[in-house]
Amino acid sequence: MSQSLRPYLTAVRYSLEAALTLTNFSSQEVERHNRPEIEVPNTSAELLLQPMHIARSETEQVLIEPSVNSVRISLMVKQADEIEQILVHKFTIFLEQRAEAFHILRRVPIKGYSISFLITNKHTESMKTGKLVDFIIEFMEEVDKEISEMKLFLNARARFVANEYLGEFVY
Amino acid sequence: MPYQSVAAVYKLVKAPIYSHCFSQDKSLLAVTCKNDCLVYRFDNGPAPQLVATLANHDKTVTAVDISIHGRILTCSQDRNAYVWEPLSDGTYKPTLVLLRINRAATCVSWAPNGYKFAVGSSARIIAVCYYEQENNWWVSKHIKKPIKSTVQCLSWHANGVLLASGGTDGFMRIFSGFIKGLDNKESVAGSPWGEKFPFGSLIREFYHGSYIEDVQWRSSVEKVGYVSHEGALTVVDYANNHAKVNAPDGLPFNALLWINDHEILCAGFSNHPVLFAESGANQWQFAKDIDKVIASASSPIASGNEDLDESEDANGNGTFGISALRKFKQLDLKGKVSTDVKETAHENTITQLLPYAEANGQVSKVSACGLDGKVVIYNI
Amino acid sequence: MSDWRRIDIDAFDPESGRLTKQDVQPPHASQITLQEITPKISQLRSLASSGDSKSAVALAVSDPPYSGDENTKAEYFKAVLETLTQVRQADIAGVVSGLTSEQQDTLVKYLYKGMSIPEGQKQGGILLAWFERVTQVAGVRPVSHFINDRNTV
Repeated sequence: MSQSLRPYLTAVRYSLEAALTLTNFSSQEVERHNRPEIEVPNTSAELLLQPMHIARSETEQVLIEPSVNSVRISLMVKQADEIEQILVHKFTIFLEQRAEAFHILRRVPIKGYSISFLITNKHTESMKTGKLVDFIIEFMEEVDKEISEMKLFLNARARFVANEYLGEFVY
Repeated sequence: MPYQSVAAVYKLVKAPIYSHCFSQDKSLLAVTCKNDCLVYRFDNGPAPQLVATLANHDKTVTAVDISIHGRILTCSQDRNAYVWEPLSDGTYKPTLVLLRINRAATCVSWAPNGYKFAVGSSARIIAVCYYEQENNWWVSKHIKKPIKSTVQCLSWHANGVLLASGGTDGFMRIFSGFIKGLDNKESVAGSPWGEKFPFGSLIREFYHGSYIEDVQWRSSVEKVGYVSHEGALTVVDYANNHAKVNAPDGLPFNALLWINDHEILCAGFSNHPVLFAESGANQWQFAKDIDKVIASASSPIASGNEDLDESEDANGNGTFGISALRKFKQLDLKGKVSTDVKETAHENTITQLLPYAEANGQVSKVSACGLDGKVVIYNI
Repeated sequence: MSDWRRIDIDAFDPESGRLTKQDVQPPHASQITLQEITPKISQLRSLASSGDSKSAVALAVSDPPYSGDENTKAEYFKAVLETLTQVRQADIAGVVSGLTSEQQDTLVKYLYKGMSIPEGQKQGGILLAWFERVTQVAGVRPVSHFINDRNTV
C-alpha cells in the first residue's frame, strides 16, 4: 500500500465508525413514515450531524454525511485524464444499475462525486457495522486498482489494434 | 466457581430488539419484534417458551414496559400505545390508550406505583396517561413546552411525580407529572428539586448539545444520569452539579443503569457494557469493561497464504495453472473471517439495560437486549 | 412567483416546531470579531516561525473562535493551517500526545475543516498524517465528538 493511501483509509475508517451509530428514527414531519433523514429535504436541522470531508488531494476525496438514522458516503475517485474519466463513469454506472444487489449503493451519486453509498439503520441492524466499514474500505482500495488495471488493458489493446491496423500501410 | 460476566444468553428473534422487560418475578419476558410484542415464559427447561404474541400494532413497536401489576404497555411508530391486561387463561386483553399524538411514540415508562405511565413521541410531546374509571379508558395529558424535538427516553423518580426526559434536541429536562387525584402532595414534600409541582411544569433543564439517548433517576441520592450520542455519561443533581465522563471506546451509549448509588453501567454501540464509578464529589471515571473481547492475533488469511506458498514450492515454479489456482483461492478467501475469533455476547448494538436481580439498592444481575435479537444477562 | 409549487409551506408554519440551523447553534454570550482575534493570529505566526511547534499547535487549538462570523473563522483557520503544515512530519506524534483531550477534539475539527476546502485539500497528505496520529492516541472519540458538536470552526 502506498505511503499516503494508508492514512487516507484510516481516516475514512474512523470517520465511518463514528458515523455508523444509527438509531431507528421515525419521521417528525410526516405521520407514520420512517425515512432516511439525510436524503429528505427540509428536515429539522438537529437531525443532521456535521458532515466530514476527507481529502487525499483535490481529486481524491470522501464525503461522509451522518444523520440520526442514515449516513451518506460519497467517493470521488481519482481521474487523472480523460480515459480514466470514461472508465470511472462506465464502472460506476455498471454498479449503480445493479444497486439492489449491493444494498447500500445509491443509484445516483451526489453532485460532484463518482459514487455514493447510503447506509440506514436497517443496514446496521441486519449487518455488522465493522463489516460494513470493511466493505467500504475494500471498495476504495479495489476501485483504484481496478481502474488502473482497466487502463493498462485498454492501452495494451489500443496498441495491438493500432499495430494491426497501421501494419497494413507498411510496405 | 470463577467469575463469569455473562450469566445467560437467549437468542430469541431474528430481528432487532429495541426494548425488553421482565415481569416483577422474572417469569415473563416481553420483547419488541418488528410490529409485534412477544411474551416469553421462563419456567422449567433452559429455553424460554413463547406464550403470547401481542400483535395489534401495524408499525414497528418501539418500546415495552411491564407494570408492578403485570400490565404490559407497548407503543409503536403507528402513533398508538396499548395496555395489555393479563387474563386468567394466559391471554392478554388490549386497551387502546388515548394518546392524541400525531407522530410515532418512541418510549414508555410506567410510574413506580403502576397507576400511570408516560409516553414520549416524535410529535415533541410527552403524554402522561392514567386510567379513567367512568370511560373505562386510559386518557392522557400532554407536556408540550419547551420540547423542541423527538423525545427518546423517559425516567420516573421513585416518588412518581418527577419525570426526566431527553431527546434529539440535546436537552435533558425534568418535568412534573403530577396528576390530581392520583398523586398526593406528601410524596414530593421536602423534595430538593422545588416547592410546587403543578402538572407539566418544567422543573429543571440541562443543555447538552448532542442527542440524549437514555436517562435514569437515582432517587436515593436525588441524581439523574444520562448518556448522549457523542459517547459520554453525564450525572447531574438538584444543585446543578455536573459530572461528565467519556466512553473508553469513543462510541456512543444507548442505555445506562444505576448499579448502586456510586456506580453506573452503560452500554451501546461497542456491544459490551461498561462500568463507571464515582471517584469523588461530582467526579466519575471509567471502572471496568464487562465481556470485552481481547483481539486475537491469528488470522486465517495469513495462514491460507502460507499453505499456498508451500504447494507452489512442492510443484515447482512455473507449473501451468498455478497462478490461476492461486488467484481463485485468494478470491475464495475474500471476506472470510477466522472462526476462532471470540465474540462478545451481544454481536450488535445494545439498546436497553434493566436490573435483573437487585437487593438493598445494589444490582447484581443486569439484563440487556440488542439489535442482534438477543437478551443477555450479565453478572456485575 | 416562479416555482411556487416547490415552496416548503411547513417552514412558514410557526407551529411546525422545526428547528433551523441557527436554532441548534449553542448560544454564545458575545460574538468575537476579527480585531479581537488578530493578536492571537500574529502570536500564532510568530510561534510557528520560531520553530516552537508544540506550543504553536497547543495555542491554535485552544479556545477557537466559535462565536465568530465566517470571515473571522476563515482568517483564523488560515493561521491554524499554516501552523499545522509547518510542523515536521516526525514531530507530529509528539505534539499530538502533548495535547489535552479537548484540544485533540478541536484539532480534529480543524483537520476536517481543512479537508473540506481547496486550500486544505492541496495539503491533504499533511492533514491526513495529523489525523492518523490523533486517532492513534485518542481512537474514535474525537470523531464522535466532532460529528455531534454544533460549535463549528
